Amino acid sequence: MSDALARSKPASTKDGAAVDDRVTPTEPPVRPPAPDPSVKKSAGRAWLRVSPLVLGLQLALGVGAIAGWQLLTQVGVLDTFFFSQPSRVAVRVWEWLTTGVIYDDLAVTLQETFLALVIGAALGLFVGFLLARVRLLAAVLDPYIKILNAVPRVVLAPVFLLWFGLGIWSKVAFGVTLVFFVVFFNTYQGVREVSRVLVDNTRMLGASESQLIRHVFLPSALTWIFSSLHVSVGFAIVGAVVGEYLGSAKGIGYVIAQAEGTFDTTGVFAGIVVLSVVVLLVELLVNRVERRLLRWRPDSGRTDVA
Amino acid sequence: MPEQPYAVQLSGMTKRFPTATGEAYTAVRDIDLAVAPGRFVSVVGPTGCGKSTLLNAAAGLMPPSEGTVHVYGEPLQGLNRRASYMFQQDALLPWRSVLDNVTLGLRIRKVPADERAEQGRAWLERVGLGAFAAAYPHQLSGGMRKRAAVAQTWIVDPDILLMDEPFSALDVQTRQLMENELLTLWTGSEKTVIFVTHDLDEAISLSDEVVLLSAGPDSEVVGGYPVDLPRPRDLMDIRNSPEFNDIYRRIWSDLRNEVMKSYERRARTLQAG
Repeated sequence: MSDALARSKPASTKDGAAVDDRVTPTEPPVRPPAPDPSVKKSAGRAWLRVSPLVLGLQLALGVGAIAGWQLLTQVGVLDTFFFSQPSRVAVRVWEWLTTGVIYDDLAVTLQETFLALVIGAALGLFVGFLLARVRLLAAVLDPYIKILNAVPRVVLAPVFLLWFGLGIWSKVAFGVTLVFFVVFFNTYQGVREVSRVLVDNTRMLGASESQLIRHVFLPSALTWIFSSLHVSVGFAIVGAVVGEYLGSAKGIGYVIAQAEGTFDTTGVFAGIVVLSVVVLLVELLVNRVERRLLRWRPDSGRTDVA
Repeated sequence: MPEQPYAVQLSGMTKRFPTATGEAYTAVRDIDLAVAPGRFVSVVGPTGCGKSTLLNAAAGLMPPSEGTVHVYGEPLQGLNRRASYMFQQDALLPWRSVLDNVTLGLRIRKVPADERAEQGRAWLERVGLGAFAAAYPHQLSGGMRKRAAVAQTWIVDPDILLMDEPFSALDVQTRQLMENELLTLWTGSEKTVIFVTHDLDEAISLSDEVVLLSAGPDSEVVGGYPVDLPRPRDLMDIRNSPEFNDIYRRIWSDLRNEVMKSYERRARTLQAG
């Protein structure tokens, strides 16, 4: 019954993403934590270990693509009106950074992202716990959660704009609807999948229900949540930017929408560059946090010494 | 009701489990088992005979379908608060350091942090893990994890220790070492131990009494065999003594019957299926 909730989850998320691929990253939210923690860790540090050949080719590819873009627009094969030019984009970004006009927008977007992440994660954690521990509630709410998760989020944006206005809170609400489900499903799974022996052992040591949550269920759920943190952060940023794009007076999404409105392709690309760099930096931060909080896990390659 | 209260007493205990087909699977039937305080009793039987079911009933983790469980004369309600349980599988929390794992029971009992750490370190020294306080369970070998589990269950000073094949996953040498250390810990502690194992050798060398269960399902107690070998025992020597061999032969002839029965039963199910 309530197992159906857990089992159907990746499918329902994918459905949601298929209907709404504009807003929702297609990655399914759930990654089981235990089987293979090495993958992400090594991925995080992969660039340290790549061979000089691979590194050289990677650099060549990046430089080649940008140079090709520059060349094609220079000789007129690509129209700069539609495609702008790497040099112009670089100049625009540089202007934004040196004059400081972009910082306000950046701050607003990051603020929205942060709030969406914290509120969405807190709600997801709470509801996930509740449903995992109270089977009846999970069984009753199961179809409604699937329905809600199937709603393409972008159609909610107008509603949130009406409810919360043009300020940051409509974007936060938007991001929350994205982050919530990722964290909720992972928490639900994390609590349900706790090894029976760990629970029994802790109970035999005298733990009450609240101590059980604190010492066993919460840490177990947290490992699941942290392994989905990359997805959650991505969702939060998507929520903020798309929300801004659809209606706001500040933020990177707003800057991009403004540029688009004046056929300023250079501005659109410059906005995309700034956003990408920010996402990369946040990603690095998440990697560090994850490595620190999940340091109790087996190292890559070594899972269990029998 | 017994005159002098047993530490653990199962009377007429039957445990059934519902199966997928809807029929009830009877794991153990009509078990009577009484363990006096301070005794070391082993429960032996062929694989799948419901040995763990007995421990789970004594722990209060799994109430019996029929019959009663008494702990020191009181009917058991909920979990058995006077018992610690050492599981067959690893039960250390992977996200806690060895020291935090060992002191978990104290933390749950709200013992102050410095006292907790002090006791925890003393126990780690005692089980030979002094240098591994800050390590995480996955960094330890199987034997070291078992030592940590021993410390974790003993630190709360339980009256009763329920041990479910605690050393079955270890290699022979590590296992003998652990058995010896367990015996050293237990000697003079006046704790009651119920030790489940499928290894007759281990059962006899550790225990005051060996209880033999019949092949499952529908396991019953075949008999109890007192082991009156002198204590303190040295496990390396005791296994070569003639008394040990006498007891071993006596129990083994009964155990072999049960093992054969369980083979036949399994063969029949295989043919039927």
